[in-house]
Amino acid sequence: MPDAFNSLLHGFSIALTPLNLLWGFIGVTLGTFIGVLPGVGPALTVAMLMPLTIKLDPTGALIMFAGIYYGAMYGGSTTTILLNTPGESASIATALEGNLMAKKGRAGPALATSAIGSFVAGTIATILVTLLAPIVVELALKFGPAEYFALMIFAFTTVAAVIGSSTVRGLTSLFLGLLLGVVGIDSQTGRSRFAFGVPELLDGIDVVVLAVGLFAVGEALYVAAYSSRLEEKLEQLKGSLWMSKEDWQRSWPAWLRATAIGFPFGSIPAGGAEIPTFLSYATERKLTKHPEEFGKGAIEGVAGPEAANNASVTGALVPLLTLGIPTSATAAILLSAFQNYGIQPGPLLFVTQADLVWGLLASLYIGNVLLLILNLPLVGIWVKVLAIPRPLLYGGILVFATLGAYSLHQSVVDLMILYVFGLLGFVMRRWNIPVAPAVIGLILGPLAETQARRALAISQGDASVFITQPISASILAISFLLLIVPLIVQLVRQR
Amino acid sequence: MRYKRAELILSLAILFLGIAVAIGTSQLSSAGGYARIGPNVAPMIISGGLILLGAWLSYEALSGGWRNAVPDDPETRGEHSFQASAFVWVSAGLIAQIFLIHSAGFVLAQAALFLCVARGFGSGKFVRDFAIGLVLGLGVFLFFVKFLNVNLPAGWLQPLLGGAGI
Repeated sequence: MPDAFNSLLHGFSIALTPLNLLWGFIGVTLGTFIGVLPGVGPALTVAMLMPLTIKLDPTGALIMFAGIYYGAMYGGSTTTILLNTPGESASIATALEGNLMAKKGRAGPALATSAIGSFVAGTIATILVTLLAPIVVELALKFGPAEYFALMIFAFTTVAAVIGSSTVRGLTSLFLGLLLGVVGIDSQTGRSRFAFGVPELLDGIDVVVLAVGLFAVGEALYVAAYSSRLEEKLEQLKGSLWMSKEDWQRSWPAWLRATAIGFPFGSIPAGGAEIPTFLSYATERKLTKHPEEFGKGAIEGVAGPEAANNASVTGALVPLLTLGIPTSATAAILLSAFQNYGIQPGPLLFVTQADLVWGLLASLYIGNVLLLILNLPLVGIWVKVLAIPRPLLYGGILVFATLGAYSLHQSVVDLMILYVFGLLGFVMRRWNIPVAPAVIGLILGPLAETQARRALAISQGDASVFITQPISASILAISFLLLIVPLIVQLVRQR
Repeated sequence: MRYKRAELILSLAILFLGIAVAIGTSQLSSAGGYARIGPNVAPMIISGGLILLGAWLSYEALSGGWRNAVPDDPETRGEHSFQASAFVWVSAGLIAQIFLIHSAGFVLAQAALFLCVARGFGSGKFVRDFAIGLVLGLGVFLFFVKFLNVNLPAGWLQPLLGGAGI
């Protein structure tokens, strides 16, 4: 334990250098600004702002990314509450009560409880990450390729089968992502696969291009086609921004409970922040002393899900940093940002890049404080951002989103692929096929393949290696059950 | 039998994609070196998965529609009916960008994109939109070229913008 404390202190000495502090500050500000834009979730925000870090050293860049990641979530809650257009599925629960509070003229307290709740949950979760990460690293250092492979299969199962309304469609999305993942030069044998002689495809498909295509282009096509002609109602920010004594009393137990719900979901690779936000909403609804307010704008219904979202997103940094396994689309893009710097997250990262890891963790504490200071006083500015007319807003989003995809390799081929992914995103959105599994499949698929081959190389081709080692066997068994049980339930229900 | 046509088409598309991957995979080498499994194994598993999923989705589409799907009627989804012109304008902007970026240059390509997307979202002010797109594109261009030292194509505006060009 003293080790972690000393490392963290060292981390603060890195994160608090004026330059890194500046990158963190720019990160949270830009992240909030972009995250506020309706229809732009955290994953797209990180993807869009990736080119800005081209010139930074890895530590500075990742500190800025952490700021963007957090800022985007704070910004997203503002939009959800004032506009009732959740930018990501994890904000749907917030939208339920938050927008109703805003309609009743209580937008201020709703924004305050979400911002302060995010701060409380984010800070507690960051402390837990700091304490937990070194322990997981100890464990992970004992893992061989077979265990890693099993963990990745587990992550695939949870993101595809557990999230969303249909296991079959979730898996379809995952397999599309896996298919895109094999395009290009095979890292083990140097053979090209499915590149069709296009040189740009030999390097593989970049996860940023897929994410921007699905989240920005697909979304813009969908909104243009199906809801660009609707009137939308932006709730005004009236009255006090501050929470009353009663608001505080009702909020803080919700924040703490939600942190306890959200963090475990994020830290075991159990698929994103959607489930814990709904669990927290249901918990608050059950425990509240004011059940009559639920469905009419109850403050617990905002405080809980927002805190759960932040806790689980922060918790997701544990598998990302210690195992190199992303459990959400945003984490997948962060992983690709690491890879762009030639860094492969995993247990060794804590040894080989200790400065970077602990600087990053320290910057999370700082980011949370910066956001708390920035977000509430500046809420007037964010509200103005929300008032930008839709045509200009989406024009701007696409200008910056396509820039993010183009500036990676300055390639027209990337722009063509981007448009194809946009069409795919439109179809997936219209027919309710989740997109996050595809993004995670694209980046995690090749890693899983590599681990499987390493495991087989060690066992000299004996495929039973995955089920004869206890850890790998039990993880695979759990994954199998998670996958198969919902399908059986569905089949039985149809009878 | 009640079935949903669009869902069936998509399901069959997944199924055929799986078959196409299987055919493509048969031309890949199976030599795997130390690992014993070659570059063809992962695509084989993926094609198998896609075929299974495509078959399952087809079955769902044929037996009353995909489970837990969103309603087909846009009104029930809280949206309006499909606006083909909006879809086409946004698409046109993206395609124009692909054609313009290496000829007319980054700034004009982004301005064209902005103009078309704004038009797709119902704006009628062409001149204003083009001007905003131009300013945005120029701002990004200068920021990238002067500040980040990342070259973006200047294209037709090369004489004005100088230096950076492809």
